[in-house]
Amino acid sequence: MQKKPRTQHGTNRAISRRRFLGVTAGATAALSFGTFLRSGLGAARLNVLTWSNTLKAMDDVLREQAAAYTKEKGVEISLEFINQQDLPAKTAAIVESGAGPDIINLWANGAHLFAKALVDVDDVANDLGKRLKGWTNIGKDIGMVGKNWKAVPWGIIPIALTYREDWLKEVGYSTFPDTWEDLLAAAKKLKDKGHPVGFSLGRAIGDANQFHYPLLWSFGGKEVQKDGKTVAINSPETAKAVDYRRKLFQDGETDDVFAWDDAANNRAFLAGAVSITVNAASIYWAAKKDAPQLRGVTNHALFPKGPAGRFGYSSPILLGVFKFSKAQKEAKEFIKWLMEPKQYSAWIGEGEGMMAGLLNYYEDDPVWKKDPKLETIRQIPKYVRMPGYPGPPSRQAQEALVKFVIVNMFARAAKGMATAETIKQAEDELKALYAKA
Amino acid sequence: MRVMAETAARYAHARPRASRFLRHEALTGYAMISPALFLLAVLLAYPFVLAVYISLTDRVLGEPGSFVWIRNFVKLLQDPLFRQTVWNSFVYTVSTVFLKLSLGLILALLLNQEFPCRNLVRGALLLPWIVPTSLSVLTWLWMFDSLFSVVNYLLLALGLISRKIPWLGDPFWAMISVIIVNTWRGLPFFAASLLAGLMTIPRELYEAAQSDGAKPLACFWFVTLPLLRPVIAVVVLFSTIWTFADFQIVYILTHGGPVNATQIFATMAYDVALVAGRIGEGSAISLFLFPALLVVIIGLLHYLRRE
Repeated sequence: MQKKPRTQHGTNRAISRRRFLGVTAGATAALSFGTFLRSGLGAARLNVLTWSNTLKAMDDVLREQAAAYTKEKGVEISLEFINQQDLPAKTAAIVESGAGPDIINLWANGAHLFAKALVDVDDVANDLGKRLKGWTNIGKDIGMVGKNWKAVPWGIIPIALTYREDWLKEVGYSTFPDTWEDLLAAAKKLKDKGHPVGFSLGRAIGDANQFHYPLLWSFGGKEVQKDGKTVAINSPETAKAVDYRRKLFQDGETDDVFAWDDAANNRAFLAGAVSITVNAASIYWAAKKDAPQLRGVTNHALFPKGPAGRFGYSSPILLGVFKFSKAQKEAKEFIKWLMEPKQYSAWIGEGEGMMAGLLNYYEDDPVWKKDPKLETIRQIPKYVRMPGYPGPPSRQAQEALVKFVIVNMFARAAKGMATAETIKQAEDELKALYAKA
Repeated sequence: MRVMAETAARYAHARPRASRFLRHEALTGYAMISPALFLLAVLLAYPFVLAVYISLTDRVLGEPGSFVWIRNFVKLLQDPLFRQTVWNSFVYTVSTVFLKLSLGLILALLLNQEFPCRNLVRGALLLPWIVPTSLSVLTWLWMFDSLFSVVNYLLLALGLISRKIPWLGDPFWAMISVIIVNTWRGLPFFAASLLAGLMTIPRELYEAAQSDGAKPLACFWFVTLPLLRPVIAVVVLFSTIWTFADFQIVYILTHGGPVNATQIFATMAYDVALVAGRIGEGSAISLFLFPALLVVIIGLLHYLRRE
């Protein structure tokens, strides 16, 4: 092989590297100058960080709407979707560093947790409320911190009991049991037929909490008094709820519930292993794709009534604007625009029950007429309360939730621990947690 | 031939420049370690000092908080849930390190023998260590699934069990599950390190021992083990620290459940600091063991130096 003379080779390389660097630097400078120019010319830009919807089609609607908004108002919208599980850590990092998106998708009591980092959105929320028949109670609970709106309630993912109509008919129920006692009787019959019910007692941060808080409340139990400070879990009402839960597990439930995460009950239901479970409409949705034969026999029901009434707990989501945002006005306008009937109906319409609005106006949204099995889901928002009820959705209530204090109280009972003992343990945990300022 | 000559010429050409550098040896030295020092300071020292500071405040996300000295730590000790977390972390760490060490030693001894395809097997051994933990643990999650567990299916089919094991659904079995997965994942590190240690032991020592009449077990006890001791000390030290700080396996498999049976420091710290927003207390949880670990580390390093 003929080699090139060494010196020439070396010089070549040096020049080409230098030239390469020069060209790259020049290009970078030109590019960034271009960006600088554009940003200087006043074209506002909004960054939105939100969860990646279980139902991708709903995110597509958002993308289309954002593009339409840009065309209409000249405000560029950049949507970033991230995994819901990663959202708390990401939000935490943003709040701590004081830099990030203009609009953030908050969950549950996020407005309360991050109130100091958010701007008031009273103008938006009050205007929407005035024009769209007012906000539901749960909307006010999650959106208002003290007297001010800190975030705009974006909707809730309605949680219902999902059940197999055909199996319930088999054991003699043409309608879903309306009280907890009826449900217990039905579950027993179902299990005897080989179709147990299943409500997660495991690490399902969504499903497990969504089932057990309403259960506690509907028996009259509560973790804390209305002041949001005095722990009140140790009561005869709680004891009744705990006894009931143990009985439900023993008589009518599958043993697997202790291992269930948020996805496990969906799989179990679609695999025909359980007859009743707690979930968003996602099972109904998944059935369309994965188990079409189940869609016809699957239906939704409200949570049963207890001595203290009917309750529910569904995950609400909100939209907030950060104080550090340089485009607060534009951000608020965009949120308001998203909540207007034209846009909002299109969005929840695509969801077919995956999302319900918290403005009373949306209780009569056309989406609920799409499918008779969505009628139940339409009613859910009015029963929904937040953990910490009857107190405010505080930081302590959130901590109790992420530590599974209530779920574990029921889980220990189902495992066989005495009622008084498991309640005492929950009481100790709650006291340790509510003692914190 | 010609290539060799050219290489020699290139070195001859380069020598004067190299020696010029060497004259400023000290300066060059500092220049060379300064990037590493900078990275250490920015990526390790600063976050660590910040974490220690935060753990001494009652800070919650988005609010400044005030200095409370060691109140977080005192409160943690009174928290029944935290006490359980401490216990769980010890059970988890002690049992996995013990399993990894004993199984790793056996594996290393086996791999030190002559057998066909030895290098292939040695390479394959590292697989659990190489695969991203979160991915492999997701696979384990499926293998332990309450409904579709392939492990239960196999055990049932083989007639080893009569009813399915609630792998992740029972406090006892959940702990067993995370211990199994941690052992599976950490074993290659032990085996590979110990194997490297074994390979450095001179053959003559064994020959001498054998000529003195030592049986294989005695060879292992009086030759292998003493010479492996420094390696064992280092891998145990590292693994103990890693396991105490482990997050992924438990978070993905059980999320600390059921009923907090597998809650360990990192998962509890994550829930308290990032999900519930109490970063002061969360930092205290993750730093709780630091003083104890520091003593262990200093002790072990001291021992190693003496060796």
